[in-house]
Amino acid sequence: MEVTLRRFDLSDVDAMMAWASDPEAAAFCRWEPYESTEHLLAFIRDTVLPHPWFRAICLAGDSRPVGAVSLVPTADACRGELGYVLARAHWGKGVATAATKRALTTVFGEVPGLERVEAFVDVDNPASQRVLEKAGFRREGLLRRHYWHKGRVRDLVIYSFISSDLLLG
Amino acid sequence: MEAEGYVSLREFTEADAEALLEWASDPRVVRFQRRDAYTHVDEARRYIIDHVLPFCRTRGTAPSAASLGYLVARAHWGRGVATRAVSAAAEAVFAEWPWLVRLEAIADVENPASQRVLEKAGFTREGVLRRYVVLKGRPSRDVVMFSFVRGDGEVKPAEVATHS
Repeated sequence: MEVTLRRFDLSDVDAMMAWASDPEAAAFCRWEPYESTEHLLAFIRDTVLPHPWFRAICLAGDSRPVGAVSLVPTADACRGELGYVLARAHWGKGVATAATKRALTTVFGEVPGLERVEAFVDVDNPASQRVLEKAGFRREGLLRRHYWHKGRVRDLVIYSFISSDLLLG
Repeated sequence: MEAEGYVSLREFTEADAEALLEWASDPRVVRFQRRDAYTHVDEARRYIIDHVLPFCRTRGTAPSAASLGYLVARAHWGRGVATRAVSAAAEAVFAEWPWLVRLEAIADVENPASQRVLEKAGFTREGVLRRYVVLKGRPSRDVVMFSFVRGDGEVKPAEVATHS
């Protein structure tokens, strides 16, 4: 499975609605599904375009985005938090894994001071755990009651990929 | 007369600058702290005024998780002060913030004394997080993550001894 990553454009809003409006795609994401392109357009304009690292996932040979992957800064410059979301039509084909692998080959060069990419996955989201494991992340532990998500306190699994992991191929 | 080893917690005031400087200037104490050691009481005073005092006010948010950190002057190491302070702090903060569910703390992988403090205070070791923090501009450090969640350490009814 080959993917490319590129920056988003306001004109991507309709393609983005495919996953942004889908409660299943958004189930383990921090945001609630979008109900109108107007709100999604504001999100692209106010959050995505000025974001330090936010990319559209495209299938090779196709310029339309099928999902998004982002790296969010944390309290320490050495670590960023990876997140991704994928339209349901493209689940189960290795797209998220390919996008994550591609993101890892790029972010360490593009984000100053970055040494660690971490990701948090709900204990009840084994599909996303497998994405990270296949992309070469190391499972570090279970963070209990770590996150209040959509009305419930959740246990999260924490994963990391550090810059020297790139040498492991 | 309080019992040997009694520890109490109180809010900082600007008058604590000299005392704070005593440990904040000690490289052994601040070794695993992000900031460099202080060298002058004015730095300690600024830290209290700009960082500590505003921090103590209610911040208008109700986070379900919070992060704990601690420093003890070198002269008082090895006597359980940090362990008692951490236990007292955990009890106080869970009582004062009913919305708090998780208290976490990190200790450097090369700081076993601090790891023992957290274990003795009843925290659960969750794992080693690689390259987690940058200390004083040097290469990033691996840390051990610990947590204490609401309900940890409480005696469950089945464990209470009954006397007939």
